Amino acid sequence: MQATLEALTEEMARDPAIFVLGEGIGKRGGNFRTTAGLYERYGPLRLCDTPICERGFVGLACGAAMAGARPVVDFMFVDFVLDALGEIFNQIAKVQYMSGGRLRMPVLLRGCIGVGHSAATHHSGSYHPLFAHIPGLRVAVPSNPADAKGLLRHALRGHDPVVFLEHRELLGVKGPVPEGDWEIPFGRAAVVRPGKDVTVVALSLMVRHALAACAALEKEGISVELIDPRTVAPLDVDTVLASVRKTGRLLIVDEAFGPFGLGSEIAAQVAERGLDQLDAPIRRLHGAHAPTPYSPPLEAAVAPTAKTVERAIRDLLED
Amino acid sequence: MAIPIAVPRLGWSTEEALFTGWLKEDGAPVRAGEPLYVLETDKASQEVECLDAGTLNILAGGPKAGDKVLVGALIGYLLQPGEVVPSSAPLVVSAREGKPAPAVVATFAAPEPERSRIAISPRALRIAAELGVDWTRIEGSGRDGRIVERDVRAALERGGKPGAGSVRRVIAERLSRSARTTVPVTLVTTADASPLAGIRRRLKESDGPDAPGYTDLVVKLVAEALCRHPALNARWEGDGVVLQEGIHIGVAVDTEAGLLVPVIRNVPELTVRQVAAASRDLAARARRRALRPEEMQGGTFTVSNLGAFAIDAFTPVINLPECAVLGMGRIERRPVAEGDAIVIREQLTLSLTFDHRIVDGAPAARFLGELAALIRGPGAALGL
Repeated sequence: MQATLEALTEEMARDPAIFVLGEGIGKRGGNFRTTAGLYERYGPLRLCDTPICERGFVGLACGAAMAGARPVVDFMFVDFVLDALGEIFNQIAKVQYMSGGRLRMPVLLRGCIGVGHSAATHHSGSYHPLFAHIPGLRVAVPSNPADAKGLLRHALRGHDPVVFLEHRELLGVKGPVPEGDWEIPFGRAAVVRPGKDVTVVALSLMVRHALAACAALEKEGISVELIDPRTVAPLDVDTVLASVRKTGRLLIVDEAFGPFGLGSEIAAQVAERGLDQLDAPIRRLHGAHAPTPYSPPLEAAVAPTAKTVERAIRDLLED
Repeated sequence: MAIPIAVPRLGWSTEEALFTGWLKEDGAPVRAGEPLYVLETDKASQEVECLDAGTLNILAGGPKAGDKVLVGALIGYLLQPGEVVPSSAPLVVSAREGKPAPAVVATFAAPEPERSRIAISPRALRIAAELGVDWTRIEGSGRDGRIVERDVRAALERGGKPGAGSVRRVIAERLSRSARTTVPVTLVTTADASPLAGIRRRLKESDGPDAPGYTDLVVKLVAEALCRHPALNARWEGDGVVLQEGIHIGVAVDTEAGLLVPVIRNVPELTVRQVAAASRDLAARARRRALRPEEMQGGTFTVSNLGAFAIDAFTPVINLPECAVLGMGRIERRPVAEGDAIVIREQLTLSLTFDHRIVDGAPAARFLGELAALIRGPGAALGL
């Protein structure tokens, strides 16, 4: 969270066209401290508190971007963005196309995703597959502070609308963050750790779970190559294919719902382009295809954990 | 067209029903919607309505009251004026309870015996092809016995031990097929290889260790002889002789896993040095088991050299589907009558086995004579 705040603070200083819209992002500094201290620095004109009317202020952001501004819309929970899908899918994603590129649409839509803290089903969604499905949107889903800062900065410097999604359980995670002009281009997956027996693709919080699983398996001599796509649109399948060429086995871990999701997309592309590299069926591990329960024990059962990731890897190695 | 009357599915899981009788006579006119016959399932008895109009034709041998009928079974036809029952009308009823079942029901295909299909991962399939491993005999260690990469690699390692490997099995199969199907005849002659020995010495001096060997020189001369005697550059395919356009010569390589025969392509277009380079590369990779399957296919003639083992003559086995194979013996200095004098000459014994189905003895002998002459006086044939 501090990492993205750094990037946002620096970019707002660099580019006066950037302004933030959202509920409680002004004096309050954001429900998740995403804009802490910015109001004092940049004032109410650039940190606009809004009423609870997502469709309205997303439409406003779209118009502002058409007029040359760079709006950052802070949704707190990405679940709330769903009220504005009409503006996002029909206008923000299409304006550049419809204007033949004469209008740019540098809108940053950011919000928290993910299951945890008994936030229940209206505050636990992970909707990156939904956005990645729509042409014209870019979707970044970082897993660590350094990536979050680099990707957010890239988003603030591009022409395209970006949906920037951070897992709520990652907001407090600490990690080294490069200072200065640190930027990560979209569409480049990170090989989080190299390995030779099996390839695991994991996104967001699942990268941490997978890392824990890798550490446990390493003690038994099982070598896992872990890949973090970092952006879902564009999606870097080349890096996954290069890894599968080595390992022959692929597991995709994503907390979002499985059907028509990240796992399906990667599996399809790998099967199309690398069938004869596969030594086993491609496996997917997703969140349960169900509304997220409030009950803590039930909530714990619907999202993948380090244990279930470890089990899925073992199972894949049996194939 | 005659409209077939078939037993409908009366319930979700109904597979058969009890036929309790026709409600119409054979030959009676029937209107759409009229009840036609009665079926009884475990739940209820039901009159089955006719969906179309026509004249009822009850199949001879069709169900009688009390017969069990299978869902989908054909029991009769509705005919329009002038129509007849299709000639291949199948018989349909299943047995009256308690009786042995007659041959029944053409509308249901007999269940095929389960095919035992070997499952192999796409990766394992690719690697098996690359390494030339016969995966159909490998036991898989993946889930449900699927063959995976490690099984192919393990099989390859086992193949390195004599007698256990898949290479041995392939050799066994191919050679016995050759022995079963060809009519082999072996001709033996001795050629004066002194000029060849001289060429070889000069090549050694100029090219060093990479100089073309006797086998390379002979391969090149064989290609020349085949150009002049295309009848031996042929295959038996199906039920006839097919002359081959290209001249691709296989060279037998002794490896730890067994005999492999990589093929040198288009020999007439290669120089002797190119033949040597190709042969060296193929043999090295054969010993490493790194040949691609297609590099061991498509040959039109084979050369096998046992000279290094002090063998003079032997009866090489035809490498199917080729027509002939040449066995090279050792090159040895022997006393030879030249006019009335006895001189020492480098002598090479050649053994040619040919398939008498494809070519007769005289043309084969002419080919061998030509080859011996080329060895005696290679001249321009070697292009050196």
